[in-house]
Amino acid sequence: MFILRAMLREEYRMHSSYTSSRMMFALPAFAFTIALVTSLALGNIMGAMSLEELLFNVNAGVFLYGVSVGALGFIGRTLVERRQGQLNSIITMPSLLPMSYRSTFLCFFASDAIFYFALLIVPALLGILASLPFTHFSIVSVLSASLSLALSFLYGMSLSFAVSVAGTRSRGAFAIIAAVIIALLLGHGALHFYGIEWLLPTMGYQFSAPPLGADAPLAALFLAATIMATLLLYAAAIIMVPESFQGREARHGRLYPRYFARFASFGSFQPYLAKEMVDLRRSGAVGRMVLSFVIPLTMLSFTGWYVNNGLEVPVGFNIVFYAAMVGFFSVVLYTSLTEVDAHDFYGTLPVAVPRVIRTKLIMFLMLTMGISTAFVLGIAALNGEAGMLWLALPVLYVVSVYMVVATAYLTGLRPNSSLFDPAVLSKFIVISILPSLGLTLMSFSVGRTELAAVAIAGVLVLLLAAAMLLYRRIDAKWSGRGFN
Amino acid sequence: MASITVRELSRSFGATAALDRISFDVAEGTFFGCFGPNGAGKSTLLRVLTGQLPPTAGEVLVSGIDVQGNGIAVRERVGIVPEAESPPSYLTAYEYLAFVGRVRKVDDVEGRIDRWIDFFDLGASQDVLCKDLSKGTRQKVMLSSAFMHDPPLLFLDEPFVNLDPIYQHKLREYLLHLREEGRTIFLCSHILEAAQKLCQEMIILNRGRIVASGSVPQLTAEEDLETLFLRLVEEDVHP
Repeated sequence: MFILRAMLREEYRMHSSYTSSRMMFALPAFAFTIALVTSLALGNIMGAMSLEELLFNVNAGVFLYGVSVGALGFIGRTLVERRQGQLNSIITMPSLLPMSYRSTFLCFFASDAIFYFALLIVPALLGILASLPFTHFSIVSVLSASLSLALSFLYGMSLSFAVSVAGTRSRGAFAIIAAVIIALLLGHGALHFYGIEWLLPTMGYQFSAPPLGADAPLAALFLAATIMATLLLYAAAIIMVPESFQGREARHGRLYPRYFARFASFGSFQPYLAKEMVDLRRSGAVGRMVLSFVIPLTMLSFTGWYVNNGLEVPVGFNIVFYAAMVGFFSVVLYTSLTEVDAHDFYGTLPVAVPRVIRTKLIMFLMLTMGISTAFVLGIAALNGEAGMLWLALPVLYVVSVYMVVATAYLTGLRPNSSLFDPAVLSKFIVISILPSLGLTLMSFSVGRTELAAVAIAGVLVLLLAAAMLLYRRIDAKWSGRGFN
Repeated sequence: MASITVRELSRSFGATAALDRISFDVAEGTFFGCFGPNGAGKSTLLRVLTGQLPPTAGEVLVSGIDVQGNGIAVRERVGIVPEAESPPSYLTAYEYLAFVGRVRKVDDVEGRIDRWIDFFDLGASQDVLCKDLSKGTRQKVMLSSAFMHDPPLLFLDEPFVNLDPIYQHKLREYLLHLREEGRTIFLCSHILEAAQKLCQEMIILNRGRIVASGSVPQLTAEEDLETLFLRLVEEDVHP
């Protein structure tokens, strides 16, 4: 328990170092407010979709959020190998003290889960509850839905934890597990072999419990299944944690000179791009990045498929909508690029922060355009919407560029930690939600009116102009900043 | 001409004054030492001088360049060995030196890399990822990266840490050779032996302030350096 308490204190101090203690407490207030306002607006939202669709989307979203924050196997390994520059943490102590890595990782996961609950999940749930006097929802339904959301988050976190720990043991195992997960998603979404509740048991609970159902025994069964699955994944992850993290003094081929030669046409970015490429290859980050990008997009795609075909509710998720979503999700890739290694050593060289930011942006474009294009082409083929690619692909490219440049401008080389600052998070939400909402609404009209395509083109021009402006302003904002 | 000019330099972190209105000069060609107990502000001073950290107040000129807003120009002209060795994790020792050589646009990158691999006997480790190297080997890599472009001015923060006695000796001899060539060296350390053997001028920092400054022979005219150091730090804490 004392290790858990120490880790919680460490987590608090680390996050408050990104902003300040006061600003960090603004984050729960922020989550509370957003949840309250959204709950008050639910009546309007439910004019556009059913309660079932809404709860499915929210549970899936919270599950994916849990997946995105739960990759503690990779994070733990990075900390243990001290690839965080001059930072050190309690998780490295088993190398010095009579502690096991397993017990330390057990506490590491628990402290992270408690932290996210305290900072975001519980305040959001309280926000929903606070809306009750002003809405017609029953407290039983709200509490039931809240339980489902909390468990979806934990389930996602434990799944990600287990997969990431497996990934630190063996790249082959990681690849197999990832393939299995994708196959399971396909089995549900494309082939309808089984319902979503077999992949996300909290949905099984939700379908059987208020407000969607009243089958208490079935609800209890799915609740137990979720808890069991979460605990089993957690236990599997702990069992897989290695007892030592010693690096091997393996000899490596000289990749850097080869990549340096390949990037000759990139002028002054040549040495930096070569270094980034070597980092990506050797860290195995590309595989993890692709997975963290592809999994939520796959879920999103089959959410649409399920809503359109499973629930037979024609919502109009077309390829233009997906292209915009792929563009927005590409921020995940930029975040991953900034976390491959620490940047402290740049402080000894005649390099400024904007140079490294721009290098990451170029890497992003090189990596994602292929993956994103392949994804959109695949969805278009599946949905028989190849005829709309002339609009979808520009949407994809412009939104990708806009989102990543805006994120780079706002957060520099630390997007994950910067987004804990409510001021930065608010700006990020404004720059992402407003265009997202606009493009989503306009995409629903594509094919019904020619004005939709014109309006979308107008939005794209504005986003491109905004991206260029923000790209130029990266120097002004980040030139005087240090690397640590 | 002074290589380094510092006037009324202050640097604070919140309410804590890490450096408090310090002033000193380092003449060109001087081996200058900055000594002090742990937490005195030595590393903060070095980071300000090299343009990694802006001053809160005061003026700093390095090779005639105002460090405020000109960090890159300063770092083009100097070599830096930071306090904590931290070469990038996924490059090998060889590749990191190649990277530094390319960033600094030096000529004959391979020749320079080979020279420093020989000097520090990094042959067996040159193709090992930096994250898998021992601390001492990483320190050698950082030292090599600072020396590679033959800078006229060097900033060294605890350069001897993690080096075995053989390489400490080798490094000392090399630094003395640089001193004879007329290079300027700014050394931060809490190891007083380095001051005795290497430095011509020095300051002693304590709690962000200079408590002693002058040439090493002047400061040690009446008492040895360790006695002086302990007395000054004690007096500063308990005036």
